[in-house]
Amino acid sequence: MSDSSSPTHSSPALAPQIQDRTAGPGRLLTLRTSVDDVVSFRGSFVTNPDLAAGDALRQQLTVSLLDKGTEHRDRFELARVLEACGAKLDLSSDGLFVEMSGRALVDDLPRVMAVAAEMLRAPAFDPEEFRKARAQVAADLQRRMEKTSAQASTALSQRLFPEGHPNFSPLPETVLEWLEGLTVQDVRDYHEAHFGSTEWTLAVVGDLQHDEVASVVGETFSGWAPHDAPAVHDTDAASTDVGRTAVPMPDKSNVDVRLGHTVPIRRDHNDYPALYVGNYILGGNFAARLMSTVRDEMGLTYSIRSSLSGVSTRHVGSWQTSVTLSHDAVDEGIAATRDVIREFVAEGATAEELDAKKTTITGSYSVGLATTERLAQSILTNAERGFDVSYLDTFPEEIRALTLDEVNAAVQDYLDPESIQEALAGTRPRSMEAAAA
Amino acid sequence: MTETISAPPRDLPAAVEFQEASDGIECYRLPKNGLRVLLLPQDGAPVATSMVTYHVGSRNERTGHTGATHMLEHLMFKGTERYHKRQGTSIFETLQAVGAKVNASTWLDRTNYYEMLPTEHLPLALDIEADRMRGALIDTEDVEDERTVILNERDRNQNDPVSRLFDEVWGAAFVAHPYHHPTIGWKSDIERMTPDGLREYYDTFYWPNNATLSIVGQFDRGETLAEVTEHFGEIGPAPREIPQVTTEEPEQSGPRRVTVRQDGQLGAVLMGFKSPPALEADSDVLDVVARILASGKGSRLFQRCTDRGLTSDVFGINFRLRDPGLFSVFAYLAPDQDHPTVEDAIHETIEDLQENGVTQEELDRARSQLRAQIAFDRDGPMRVASQLNEALAAGDWKLYTQYLDRLDDVTVDDVQRVAQTYLRPDRLTVGRYVPTS
Repeated sequence: MSDSSSPTHSSPALAPQIQDRTAGPGRLLTLRTSVDDVVSFRGSFVTNPDLAAGDALRQQLTVSLLDKGTEHRDRFELARVLEACGAKLDLSSDGLFVEMSGRALVDDLPRVMAVAAEMLRAPAFDPEEFRKARAQVAADLQRRMEKTSAQASTALSQRLFPEGHPNFSPLPETVLEWLEGLTVQDVRDYHEAHFGSTEWTLAVVGDLQHDEVASVVGETFSGWAPHDAPAVHDTDAASTDVGRTAVPMPDKSNVDVRLGHTVPIRRDHNDYPALYVGNYILGGNFAARLMSTVRDEMGLTYSIRSSLSGVSTRHVGSWQTSVTLSHDAVDEGIAATRDVIREFVAEGATAEELDAKKTTITGSYSVGLATTERLAQSILTNAERGFDVSYLDTFPEEIRALTLDEVNAAVQDYLDPESIQEALAGTRPRSMEAAAA
Repeated sequence: MTETISAPPRDLPAAVEFQEASDGIECYRLPKNGLRVLLLPQDGAPVATSMVTYHVGSRNERTGHTGATHMLEHLMFKGTERYHKRQGTSIFETLQAVGAKVNASTWLDRTNYYEMLPTEHLPLALDIEADRMRGALIDTEDVEDERTVILNERDRNQNDPVSRLFDEVWGAAFVAHPYHHPTIGWKSDIERMTPDGLREYYDTFYWPNNATLSIVGQFDRGETLAEVTEHFGEIGPAPREIPQVTTEEPEQSGPRRVTVRQDGQLGAVLMGFKSPPALEADSDVLDVVARILASGKGSRLFQRCTDRGLTSDVFGINFRLRDPGLFSVFAYLAPDQDHPTVEDAIHETIEDLQENGVTQEELDRARSQLRAQIAFDRDGPMRVASQLNEALAAGDWKLYTQYLDRLDDVTVDDVQRVAQTYLRPDRLTVGRYVPTS
């Protein structure tokens, strides 16, 4: 393929190179880069599930059936198209969205898009395939039940959010029960009511010609109508007394611990960048306080991080610290973690820390955009948040402009060591026995 | 065919010797100390990956000292006289402050340290890597702190029954060769590792003539080679010959079995067949066999096992190692399925391939997938560096650049012959994970 525009080289400005247009029923953002032959794509549409009514599972099951045959081709014919050209196509359920992502050699993009559109718009929902997909989802859940990290995260989410919130995870045992009661008709009904071009947005990045991609996407998705399911998810946090949930799991000598509380702001709040940087200083990377104290100085853990998790423009999220601790270091590890957090919130970050993390965040931002896959993901996420394309370029400036007062004010306004909830999963150490007693 | 040129680029610094080039990758050597340097200049974002691969892995460890390679990898981040936490210049802090993605990994045949960072900071990465090549402190106190970190890392691995299953199968398959022991080491060895022992190991293997420096991304060749010379040029070569592993695994004369019992939900099977060294042509054929058996919905094991509800996932993995390794088939059992049924189905599938061979279409599909994979793996400097790292570990970096040509040589007859040669019961070790809950 040839194109008159020049590929991305040293210029850090992405927005002027991204073409943003309507293609068919949705929004298409394309970016040409200097990679050879390859394109990555990522797209999504809003489904508006009724999470309190168990729609997350219906959505997951519906998505898992999309590649199991359509009204026009069976599952093996669909797979053959992709496998013959080595393309990847993944369809996944992600809270309020269904996402589509993948990569292909550029000449194969038309056939990959055709398969994707067919799967999304005309799935067969064959009863035998439904039975198999349900067994597969059950197996995935059972494997998840074996993981201390997943169990701890689920337990914390239950302390922080109501059932109708996108960040709430139901217990796997509960989901398995729900799964038994679902029928293929439930999946057909869910698809009918929640699948469509509502807020359909697609980002394509790589060795491409903008107009050709627009033409392919426009034609392939032409006529795809939006659904009319309204947004009904909970947007705020649950109010739970501060406490601990322990998930005892035999034979797990490493205990996964989650500490956290909800934060009352969304991604588009003015204080978000300052809070993001504040948290980064506390636990954003290897050089952050938690890692350098609890791992480097005290040797108590292999991994400790803190993050702002699930904070969206559509709902609030949480601030979480994750730490893994060997069975006999659980109490000491949690106490040390809490000490670092308390000291950080009380005394705040230093000017040196802020300067260092500003360059870390802005530098790693540009490093992180070195592949077509990551570029497509960033462009889509930015669009899902409702931000202008130019924000991809102004985000580093926003970080650089923050002052120490702004960062420390955000830390003190939004992080509260006394409100931290705890969740642990693993083989019972003594502290968990005490909690259970 | 892959282009291989022998003419050196112009304007080469005097202290650098050009050796050869293959498919865009240029190979140089510092004659003074034997350091090999691989350069792959790319268009694209202004970022680069710097990676030092030491040709030492857990294969080089003796009994009682297992885990030394991995523990040393951790200690390499604890610092040197110039880069140390007590001076506010810890390696992580210094590199992450400029936005670098930085880490290291240890495996059977190699240890690698890498930084992906904005190109303007490439000299910093080179300075740190050169400094710690011979300047690591390996303090007693740091060793003690890191010991508990590593024991926690080991506990995390042990939480996962699949991780234990892999360890058990490799442990049973190799009785003489050091691939027998897990890279992280036996617990008792980690507990007893001494600073002196680690220092001796470092002084044995960490020398420029036992390392390869790879730089991939957007950079100026001349400037970068000058930086390489400046930072690494004054380091002397190893004073003694680097010890080589000479133990050969004796021929296996019958199937072996191991069982892992651990709390969990779903069983799993791992079947490992002794395979040839990575550089042998038959190893290319086994890559194709792995694809035909277990890659995608068109693959034989998907259709025989997953599609029929026997397994929830099945994978074919050809571990390409410097010495003979294991060609592996791994399967998660579907709920309510038993191990013998799944093992029989895998055996039947392999026997069918051995007796009846494969079709040209299957071979072409597998090759297309591998070709596309290679194009995807060129998307971004970090991906390229990772692939290069494994080729270096296998014993020849050109395994990366010549891989497509090698694949072109594979025929349907090769596939059948190689399946008959290597996928035999007397080369097999079978591991079962049996959940106890």
